[in-house]
Amino acid sequence: MSFTITPVPGQERYERIAREGEAAVRRWRKPPIAPYLFILPAIALLVFWIYRPLIETFQLSFYHWNLLPTAPKQPAGLSNYTALFHDRELGKAVINTILYIAAFLVCSVILPLVIALMSRRVSGRARTIYQALVFVPFLVTPVATSAVWRWLFDPYDGVIVVVLRKGFGIDIGSVFRSDHGALIAIIIIVGWQMLGFGVLVMTAGMAGISPDYAEAASVDGASNSTILRRITVPLLSPTILFLALMTILLSAQWTYPMIDVLTQGGPDNATTNIYYLLYEIAFNNFDAGMAGAAGTVFFLVFGAIAVLLVKLSDKLAFYDN
Amino acid sequence: MSRIEIVGLTQQFKDHRAVDNIDLTIEDGDFVVLLGPSGCGKTTLLRMIAGLLDPTSGQILIDGQDVTHLPAKKRNLAMVFQSYALYPHLSVEKNLAFPLNVLKVSKEEKRERVLGAARALGLESLLHRKPRELSGGQRQRVAVGRALVREPSAYLMDEPLSNLDAKLRTNTRQELSELHDRLSATFVYVTHDQVEAMTMATKIVILNGGRIEQIGTPEQVYDAPASIFVAGFVGSPPMNLLEGSLSTRDGHVQATALGSTSRLWPGTCPEHKVTIGFRAEHLRLEEAETGAVRIDGVIHQIENLGGEQVAYIKVGDHTVVAKCGREVTLERGERFTAGVRAANVHLFDQATGRRMEWVEEPAPALADAL
Repeated sequence: MSFTITPVPGQERYERIAREGEAAVRRWRKPPIAPYLFILPAIALLVFWIYRPLIETFQLSFYHWNLLPTAPKQPAGLSNYTALFHDRELGKAVINTILYIAAFLVCSVILPLVIALMSRRVSGRARTIYQALVFVPFLVTPVATSAVWRWLFDPYDGVIVVVLRKGFGIDIGSVFRSDHGALIAIIIIVGWQMLGFGVLVMTAGMAGISPDYAEAASVDGASNSTILRRITVPLLSPTILFLALMTILLSAQWTYPMIDVLTQGGPDNATTNIYYLLYEIAFNNFDAGMAGAAGTVFFLVFGAIAVLLVKLSDKLAFYDN
Repeated sequence: MSRIEIVGLTQQFKDHRAVDNIDLTIEDGDFVVLLGPSGCGKTTLLRMIAGLLDPTSGQILIDGQDVTHLPAKKRNLAMVFQSYALYPHLSVEKNLAFPLNVLKVSKEEKRERVLGAARALGLESLLHRKPRELSGGQRQRVAVGRALVREPSAYLMDEPLSNLDAKLRTNTRQELSELHDRLSATFVYVTHDQVEAMTMATKIVILNGGRIEQIGTPEQVYDAPASIFVAGFVGSPPMNLLEGSLSTRDGHVQATALGSTSRLWPGTCPEHKVTIGFRAEHLRLEEAETGAVRIDGVIHQIENLGGEQVAYIKVGDHTVVAKCGREVTLERGERFTAGVRAANVHLFDQATGRRMEWVEEPAPALADAL
């Protein structure tokens, strides 16, 4: 008599792996092609429409060129960059851009947070209608928006001007002709348009938070304001950060059409921003080289900000399961 | 530690009455399990006790104080959610400390209580982890820990074990029972799992369609189910239920079911439509000739549970379930004869679905009703 030990199923295979190593036992498999083919069209479009112009912009920044196909490109070294940094208008454009970003952070992050929180108190169909009303301005094209607002701000018979004059005795006059007035008007118009987008994203973010957390906190004795401060807002932080990121990176683009239609950057550069400046350098002054330099600098600065914010949002992100 | 009284509590959703006029008293120190299938209103009832849902009508009293319209935060209850609801952005330590922060407890006491709860649940090494870095079992412990750090009037638990695997569930069941013994606190526990109810409860409340079917100890619920619903819900496999009738012959009450008639006990009773019930483990081979209810059928299917086996017996169009030890050899397709002793036969009134008890001297009112 003797003992036998129950073998492990597939024991021979394990013994062979121990002897010859995992690689020798596993069969070599051909890498699949199909997944790469699926993403090929997207990659091709991205390379052709985004990366190629990006590289060309970078190349242009080292030449003098007036955009005429017949005109030769002359090497310029770093002179486009030095000229850009000595440009008086750049300072104004950067300050305005920062002002716009600060104002839009209120319109597309803070106000949407407040509105989304308040709209939770509305229920059923009323809430849908309410949210739709807030969202609709976002769907109107910027040029049409500008036209309507210019009409509202008309110095003689614009509704806003008339109401302020007759109702409150305030005469704002020709808004788009005064420095501060024009800047504030553009902030209001773009802010009004972006608000709906912010509310939409914020509402979606809130819908993704399980109501269990707030309920658990309320059973634990927390008041509504504590729940908001310690639970809801921290859990919304990825959404808040996303909106902040979008606002910082895109507000210069959002304001561009309004500036173009309403003020052309004026009066005296009071409403210009970096992208409008970029446009003017390229297509009013026909200085492709300097525009390329400006584009490269803006790209690098916004790229750095984006990397920073994405890292921050990774840190703040949580996984709700 | 508290006594919870529920009086005529109702929750009416649009066209659906989730909880229908429930009266229930939960004594101080009870471990009450609200048991029932999904949609029976058990979670709705718990949420109303917690203050997360406003009742349509009725009253909730905690230690005599009417809390019906008191918000959740003022009821001093602790609740463990099915999803655990651990705050995902806070570490285990901060999750445990959350209820104490709200109470504005001193720093030293907070630390002491958090550590105490962590020690009791074996969470000391996990205090700095975030919920996403925990396994299901660890999360469940943190959720219980968060309830423990306070000294609430009662602990409410909404299916806290349903996300755990079978083995962990068995262990956690024992731990929760021990916890209840140690704290001697009031527990209200919602589950659809009868094993959890049978093993932990001091009192089981079986709900069906928003109403209470039976309130009793696990023994009462299993040994004397108050209705056909309870008989069919509690027990695995569920009780065999056969439609039949009662009649009297030669001074004996007899039951007819599945085409055969059997003698129950001496006495007389008028003809009555009944449902005859008996548990699978009470259907015994050795009672084949002597049992009050006898089964003669063919084995249709056999389930081997390791320690015992369950046989599904076809008797005509009906299937009867029998449970017996592995030492008995059963074969599919073979004849199967067995019987149930009269003491193990349950009778239910078919019209109302309620249990019928045989009393030696029937009260005149009951006799008239039959």
